[in-house]
Amino acid sequence: MDAILLENVCKSFGRVQAVDNLSVRVPAGCVYGFLGPNGAGKTTTIRMIMNIIRPDSGCIRMFANGTTNRANIRTRLTTVKIGYMPEERGLYRKMKVGKVLAYFGAIKGLKASELNSQVPRWLEQMGLADWADKKVEELSRGMHQKLQFAVTVINEPELVILDEPFSGLDPVNQDLLKDIICRMRSEGKTVLFSTHVMHEAERLCDFILLINKGKPVLDGRLDEIRSRYKSGAVSVELGGDLGPEDTSFVKTLPMVKGTESQGRRMEISLSADADPQDLLKALVGRVRVQAFEIKVPSLHEIFVSLVGKDNAKNS
Amino acid sequence: MRKILKVAQREYVETVKTKTFILSILLTPAIIGIVIFISGRTQRSITGPRPPRKVAVTDLTNQLMDEIKASFEQHNESNPQRQILLDELHTDTSSDETVKQKVRDGQLNAYFVLDKDSVEGTGKIQSFTRSTKIVDLDLISNVENLLNSAIFDRRCKLKEVSQELLAEIRELRRRVPSEIIEIGSASEQKKVQKGEQIAKTMIPFFFMFMMFMGIFGMGQHMLTSVIEEKSSRVIEVLLSAVSPFELMAGKIMGLAGVSLTVIGLWATAALGTAYYGAANWWNITLELPTGILLYFVIYFILGFLMFSSILAGIGSVCNTIKEAQSLMMPITFIFILPMVAWFNLAQHPDGPLARVLSFLPPLTPIVMTLRLASSPEMPFLEVFASIVLLAVFVLAVMWAAAKVFRTGILMYGKRPGWSEVLRWLRQS
Repeated sequence: MDAILLENVCKSFGRVQAVDNLSVRVPAGCVYGFLGPNGAGKTTTIRMIMNIIRPDSGCIRMFANGTTNRANIRTRLTTVKIGYMPEERGLYRKMKVGKVLAYFGAIKGLKASELNSQVPRWLEQMGLADWADKKVEELSRGMHQKLQFAVTVINEPELVILDEPFSGLDPVNQDLLKDIICRMRSEGKTVLFSTHVMHEAERLCDFILLINKGKPVLDGRLDEIRSRYKSGAVSVELGGDLGPEDTSFVKTLPMVKGTESQGRRMEISLSADADPQDLLKALVGRVRVQAFEIKVPSLHEIFVSLVGKDNAKNS
Repeated sequence: MRKILKVAQREYVETVKTKTFILSILLTPAIIGIVIFISGRTQRSITGPRPPRKVAVTDLTNQLMDEIKASFEQHNESNPQRQILLDELHTDTSSDETVKQKVRDGQLNAYFVLDKDSVEGTGKIQSFTRSTKIVDLDLISNVENLLNSAIFDRRCKLKEVSQELLAEIRELRRRVPSEIIEIGSASEQKKVQKGEQIAKTMIPFFFMFMMFMGIFGMGQHMLTSVIEEKSSRVIEVLLSAVSPFELMAGKIMGLAGVSLTVIGLWATAALGTAYYGAANWWNITLELPTGILLYFVIYFILGFLMFSSILAGIGSVCNTIKEAQSLMMPITFIFILPMVAWFNLAQHPDGPLARVLSFLPPLTPIVMTLRLASSPEMPFLEVFASIVLLAVFVLAVMWAAAKVFRTGILMYGKRPGWSEVLRWLRQS
């Protein structure tokens, strides 16, 4: 089942085409990343999914149960619990931390008994237990953000949509957030988040969508994308007492395009359709292999190569 | 419904907790209390007991000493609560300046000089006071009466009128007591006591004021609350949990609760003071038109729904309080109209002006409250018709406000123009 389905969605603001003919499938039970540079249309897309703005054309479905956000028809998303953390954080500044959390829990349909257990649990989990009686305006930016996250997930939603969840958090809290997201995936929940920081997506996502200037550049399973964009590079570490003459044979192997040695380490680039397994077999017969790593391109590299190319094309 | 109640509850608690709210709720009745207290004091100084007044008299005729003293004594005997003390009595102008100085210093309330030929000729009484306040005028006419009766006694003595005849003449000159009677209904005629007339005009004003504060007092809070949610972007989180209509309805309900609390507190305080004052200061019985309370509640609810829906709509399209206030000005002006004409309306509750204004929905709650409080026996049909018309209008306003609110609350940037708002209304 698809948690979210976008079909040919377009949205423009004045003369700026914010989202251009975007079609996306977000399968239920996965972690999905919206990636792209600033101004790519990530937030606009999320706001259309959240029914905050209407698409100019196209159709958005949630859980295939007919709740849609079309150009002219807006219906409420009632059947499935959705948690949404907007890009611009905002909570009632004058209210106390515990009260804010309880209020949002209550309007999201939690009963009093559930609130009594959930509110302290989430405050504890977010490290805000000592701040429960402080006003929201007294919180630091990072703590405010953690509270905002707790508000988003207080009712254990089936679908969590987070707009730039990691911005403004220190590494410790980023890890805290990542752990919670992983736990949600293991509980079968769907998490959709946007970011422009690639390594966050790399460690978390099952699926990604890469958009630039409102257009989809790349989407699919992260591992498939990686293998599609494999660089054909292998890094090996050889054991034993070796001189340069002992390793020179590597250059002459048929599948090898070039090598670069740094002591025991060796970076080997393979020719176009060579299988790294063949290289390993060839090596094992001649030298001791201590480490053998097939280099996977980082999302960052894919991103820069695709977006950089695209930008170059347009200019 | 549960969500609406939750929103209402938060709105209520958060509004009641703010310092400005607590201050305003305390200050307003304090000011009203002070006004009532002062008016009670002046009322009492005209009719009730007051500290004795001190006066000085110079009798240049040099023959009225005994009569003047007797006249003052008699007055003080029959008016123990309103004594006028004859502090000094002179027969020549030698101490004129020192006495006048005492009046200036406030040691004496007034100083009177009787001309030499006051008894036989055309001499007159001169009164010297520091300023002619209303209370002093009262004192002067009192003392003039006393001096005149002293001269009258002296003239009778000179004409050798016998004591019996004098007593008879006094008896003949006695004043006839008077009272004012209200013939509101044929079966029930009742005396109108002093001060009750004033109270009668104040009661409709009181009801109108309560209605006014009840409906408009929360306007500022509504604007602040909507704009705060909009500018702090809480709104996006809120709308992922509640629908715009639920949010608006909750806000209106919560603030209606606040408003009811406020007018409840104020009405209790004001009525308590008024009843206490009526019994202890003014010696009158207050009669409230309790029959109109049900209507009061109906008009309050409808009026509040109407005004706060409009404000929610306005707040939703604005980004700052300032923007909202400039939009609010003309609307507030329309709603305030009946306040300007209240005296006329209270005097002629069945006049053409009152009738016409009753059927202009924005004005209906206040005008009808004023009319009902002024003349409780209004034709039921007219009251009913005004309620129906108002209710229809309120539904239309709420429908429009909900549409504007739904779209406006998520719009940032430039405030939309009228044509754009009209387009939202036409949209499904």
